[in-house]
Amino acid sequence: MTTMDRYEVECFEEAGRDIYKQITSTVLQDHNLTSVVSKLRIFIDPRIPIFVAVGTIRDAGGSIQVSDVGSVQRQADSATISVRDETHLAKLLVKLNTIFGYDHVDQPDRFTIIISDTEIPADFEGMEVANRADTVFRDLIYALTVIAPEGFKVRRESYGKRRFFYVASENTLPEHVIEGIVSEQFGLIGEELQ
Amino acid sequence: MILVPVTFRGGVYRHDEVMDYIEDLGGYIIQKHDIAQEVVLQVLIPKDDIERFRSFVRPLAGEVTASPLVGTEIAVVIPSLEIHHLPHSACDIAEYLRTVGAKTNMVGLARGFGKRISQLNDEERDVINEHDVAVYVLGNFETCIQEKFNGLRRGVHVPVILTGAPPVDALKRITDPPAAGYVGNLGRFMHRTRTEADIGRLDAVVEEVARVLDLSRDELAQDPLSVSPARLQDVIQEGVPEIDEVFSPTPITVQLAGVRVKLPFTRYAETIRRLPVEEGVTVSDIADVIPSRMRDYILVRIKPFSETHIVV
Repeated sequence: MTTMDRYEVECFEEAGRDIYKQITSTVLQDHNLTSVVSKLRIFIDPRIPIFVAVGTIRDAGGSIQVSDVGSVQRQADSATISVRDETHLAKLLVKLNTIFGYDHVDQPDRFTIIISDTEIPADFEGMEVANRADTVFRDLIYALTVIAPEGFKVRRESYGKRRFFYVASENTLPEHVIEGIVSEQFGLIGEELQ
Repeated sequence: MILVPVTFRGGVYRHDEVMDYIEDLGGYIIQKHDIAQEVVLQVLIPKDDIERFRSFVRPLAGEVTASPLVGTEIAVVIPSLEIHHLPHSACDIAEYLRTVGAKTNMVGLARGFGKRISQLNDEERDVINEHDVAVYVLGNFETCIQEKFNGLRRGVHVPVILTGAPPVDALKRITDPPAAGYVGNLGRFMHRTRTEADIGRLDAVVEEVARVLDLSRDELAQDPLSVSPARLQDVIQEGVPEIDEVFSPTPITVQLAGVRVKLPFTRYAETIRRLPVEEGVTVSDIADVIPSRMRDYILVRIKPFSETHIVV
């Protein structure tokens, strides 16, 4: 956890606080998120009960484009993509099928995609396939669901502009209460809720 | 005759002689594992013959270790089967108890999570009550354990051992009425138990379970059972050949005061009741054969001497 700029867990119960610090550390490591999270502050009060996690993330990397997945060879009204990296291939295929239609997209083998009998846009190579930032936030929220005490089924989460928060409880909590607590926690790590 | 629980580990070579020797001594083989070239036997053996048994297995390079939990069935109760408890810490605890001879069953509650909303249903309660002892693996906060623990043990009459992250003193302070045993510093965690400190905590669970079971054994000794559960296991094994077709690791699970037979109740209960234990004494004379809440198994509960006036 040394890669984080700031990392705090606050709870009035000492044993619980120490174990939650350990749990958070293990879960973030398991999900390869330690290098992405910049600041993280967790506040737990089992008397209310409430679990709040607020923090910021570092630059998770830019968007993945068609040219990152494979090289494109154009021929008049068709194009062949030779796949180099399969990581985002499924997303690319979904996108191609949506744009060009199933009749024009074919994958004869694992590493080849052929788009035929259709107009290929000029900036096709630069088209965005996936955005790492979206995945990172989703992974982060999943990790926080695992970290949060079990049974805290009522939850509210938000992410964007490199900031995220996750609030979970057993009870329904009024919106203004959540906003108050989250703003306070953001303030403690030198950030603002926007 | 006092039977002592031990584990024998040795090679496959001449292990049949070891099994014959155990039977000649008047001992019982509770469970046998064949693991590649190794054979592990969980055995109850007469106390006076332990040294004789050790010297018999020495030339065969066999190892005999004390296993205080052989012949017991333990419930490891967790609030749910979600990722929060599995595979760590619940599986680690259940697996570690197995290494010292216990048969453990994990009871994942349907709605045991949360503190205000946690509850125990009648099926879960009855299943837990069919065990010798229940180990409750709860979480990290005193506040939560205090509020939910009484709800989760309502109607449970077997000894309960409470584990949680707060230290033992804190666990004792917050439980009213007190539990049978406590293990502190062992709450919910997400990492594999492999450090010395982690293993130490698991050893503490084994110690506490053994202590609580010893108390139960002492209590049973005040009014001895009409037959030893290990002997009843032998009787059923010989009298009901269909038990050999059951693929479960322990088709007959030995408990402190009974056995669980993993055959359908409706088809085999009567057969078991009529099995002769000794001349003129059948199983129904010395035990209650009742349906188990676990699947359609059979539970045989041995009656004490005071009730039957028979000891076989």
